[in-house]
Amino acid sequence: MSFKNILENWSAFRKDAEAGGHHKYDHRWGMAINLDVCTGCNACSTACYAENNLPVVGKERFEKGQAMHWMRIERFWDDADKQYPERGASYLPMMCQQCGAATCEPVCPVAATYHTPDGLNAQVYNRCIGSRYCSNNCPFRVRYFNFYSYYETWAEPLNQQLNPDISVRDKGVMEKCTFCVQRIRTANDKAKMENRSIADGEVQTACAQACPTGAIVFGDTMDPNSAVSKLWAKHEVKRGDYLSKKPKQHPEKRGYRIFEELNVDPSVMYLERVREEI
Amino acid sequence: MFYKHVCKLVLPPVLMFVSMLLMSGAPARAELAAPPGVTPPVGTYAGADVAQPIEFPHDIHVNVNKINCMYCHTYARRSKVAGIPPTSKCMGCHKMIATDKPRIQKLTEYFEKRESPKWKKVHDVPDFVHFSHERHVKKFVFDADLPVENVEQVCGLCHGEIKAMTVAKKNKPLTMGFCQRCHEANGGPGDCWKCHK
Ligand code: HEC
Ligand code: HEC
Ligand code: HEC
Ligand code: HEC
Ligand code: HEC
Repeated sequence: MSFKNILENWSAFRKDAEAGGHHKYDHRWGMAINLDVCTGCNACSTACYAENNLPVVGKERFEKGQAMHWMRIERFWDDADKQYPERGASYLPMMCQQCGAATCEPVCPVAATYHTPDGLNAQVYNRCIGSRYCSNNCPFRVRYFNFYSYYETWAEPLNQQLNPDISVRDKGVMEKCTFCVQRIRTANDKAKMENRSIADGEVQTACAQACPTGAIVFGDTMDPNSAVSKLWAKHEVKRGDYLSKKPKQHPEKRGYRIFEELNVDPSVMYLERVREEI
Repeated sequence: MFYKHVCKLVLPPVLMFVSMLLMSGAPARAELAAPPGVTPPVGTYAGADVAQPIEFPHDIHVNVNKINCMYCHTYARRSKVAGIPPTSKCMGCHKMIATDKPRIQKLTEYFEKRESPKWKKVHDVPDFVHFSHERHVKKFVFDADLPVENVEQVCGLCHGEIKAMTVAKKNKPLTMGFCQRCHEANGGPGDCWKCHK
């Protein structure tokens, strides 16, 4: 294979990323997060800890960057915010963006992270050998490495609330947001038992469920009638699009995807926060 | 040329018919047949004996008394786990049946203390595996219109001939290759995240 060949394949893959690239999808799970109503309350993050068996690492390890928060709230101070601090910071919930052309996948030496037919970046924990290439290649920095065997020291009554539908990861394994795949799996089993496909709104991620302002909408972006697809369409954000965040033409169209310019095709659309220009 | 066609088209059904004739006359201990249209997964496993609080004889219940697997393992058709029957279900029969037998007296003791025998798990896939009974039972029993009396053939794909056992033992490997080979042959999923969690 020549270098030219590689480039051609690459561009072909990129060009029809909208149609799924070389993947054949049954579903393509996606999200829309309205930053305008996000209050930065961290309920999503807390719900994620409870749902996904995430260990609380403590201050010291947090400072070393060993926190395991699959969902974190990022805080930004714009210049104007600094000038008028009473306006408060801007918040942005950040988790795995389940990229359509994920940079984490091709670098895994053992193929423990791969793309599923429902458009998720899977992480097969028992396959993972902990090389950490994937996290180093992730532009969003949303992959977390287990530096310790937390299950051994899980605080006493809390081990009773571990979720049996998802494994408790051991030391040496990479992990990240899964879009609550265990809930998708349960809904899928239920739907298949009733000979139908998963209905819109049947699967809700823990973060979406916990959000008090309803900022997070989750659903199948391949189903044009799902709530999330309608939001994507309304804000003119498309799969495979390079730059949805065009120069402001319309105040209503606030949708964008983070690092779209890297063309990783994230599955999460954010709706920009509306703030008075000062 | 003609001979070749005979071999290809005529011979297999004839052979099948003959073998069916032979099978129907065979004693009950013969290898459990797979349900029609299913390519059974290959592989055997010599599971260790599991010491149970009461030696529960599957052979007496299923083979001699023809009790359906899903009469006791009720949840197999509607949940992930097949479940072990509660003591009250045993007592539905054993209030009257074989009450003079020591094992049944032990069972009655448990029942009167309102405890259940602590059955040890025989089949136990690792915690990182997602497995669902209902999906397989639906696919191989209800979607295939298999008569429910024959459900043991489906259970037998993964559990072997339980009805011939005095105490349940694992006799299929239930490894990834075992699951995956059957999925390839019968149209199950191959995606890691369908089975791994
Ligand atoms: C009368 C009720 C009854 C019937 C009928 C019955 N079982 Fe069971 N089964 C039990 C009990 C009780 C246990 C637990 C004791 C044990 O594991 O030996 C059990 C255990 C098992 C186990 C092992 C469970 C484990 O821990 O992994 C399997 C597999 C099983 N049964 C399959 C079957 C199949 C297949 C049939 C039909 C051919 C069947 N059973 C019929 C009551 C029943
Ligand atoms: C549908 C009725 C039925 C149910 C339910 C049932 N059994 Fe039985 N069981 C029988 C019959 C019939 C026999 C054979 C009795 C005989 O041969 O004397 C038997 C025999 C036995 C024996 C052998 C007794 C001996 O020493 O010969 C044991 C042990 C036993 N049952 C345990 C159980 C347990 C434990 C359960 C609950 C998981 C259970 N049975 C549920 C009908 C039932
Ligand atoms: C496709 C394979 C497969 C088929 C078909 C199947 N089982 Fe199982 N069964 C398993 C596996 C795998 C386990 C271990 C589950 C675990 O450890 O979580 C299991 C466990 C069990 C158990 C132990 C309790 C539990 O649910 O974990 C019982 C009882 C049982 N099966 C009964 C049945 C009966 C009855 C049938 C037929 C209706 C059946 N199985 C059909 C694979 C199968
Ligand atoms: C007898 C063959 C057979 C064996 C053995 C078997 N499977 Fe399956 N399995 C199937 C088939 C066929 C389907 C597809 C069912 C359907 O389409 O509804 C399936 C479906 C599944 C599903 C649901 C997938 C989905 O699309 O949601 C899971 C999970 C699964 N199997 C796990 C396992 C595991 C784990 C094992 C090993 C312990 C196993 N299976 C062993 C035949 C088998
Ligand atoms: C049909 C269901 C099924 C599928 C699909 C599947 N696995 Fe597995 N896998 C299993 C089961 C069941 C086991 C446990 C085997 C055992 O107990 O020995 C297992 C075990 C493993 C193990 C061994 C882990 C250990 O610690 O022993 C690895 C690694 C693994 N799987 C990776 C993968 C990868 C990578 C894929 C996707 C390419 C995959 N599996 C797809 C069912 C499946």
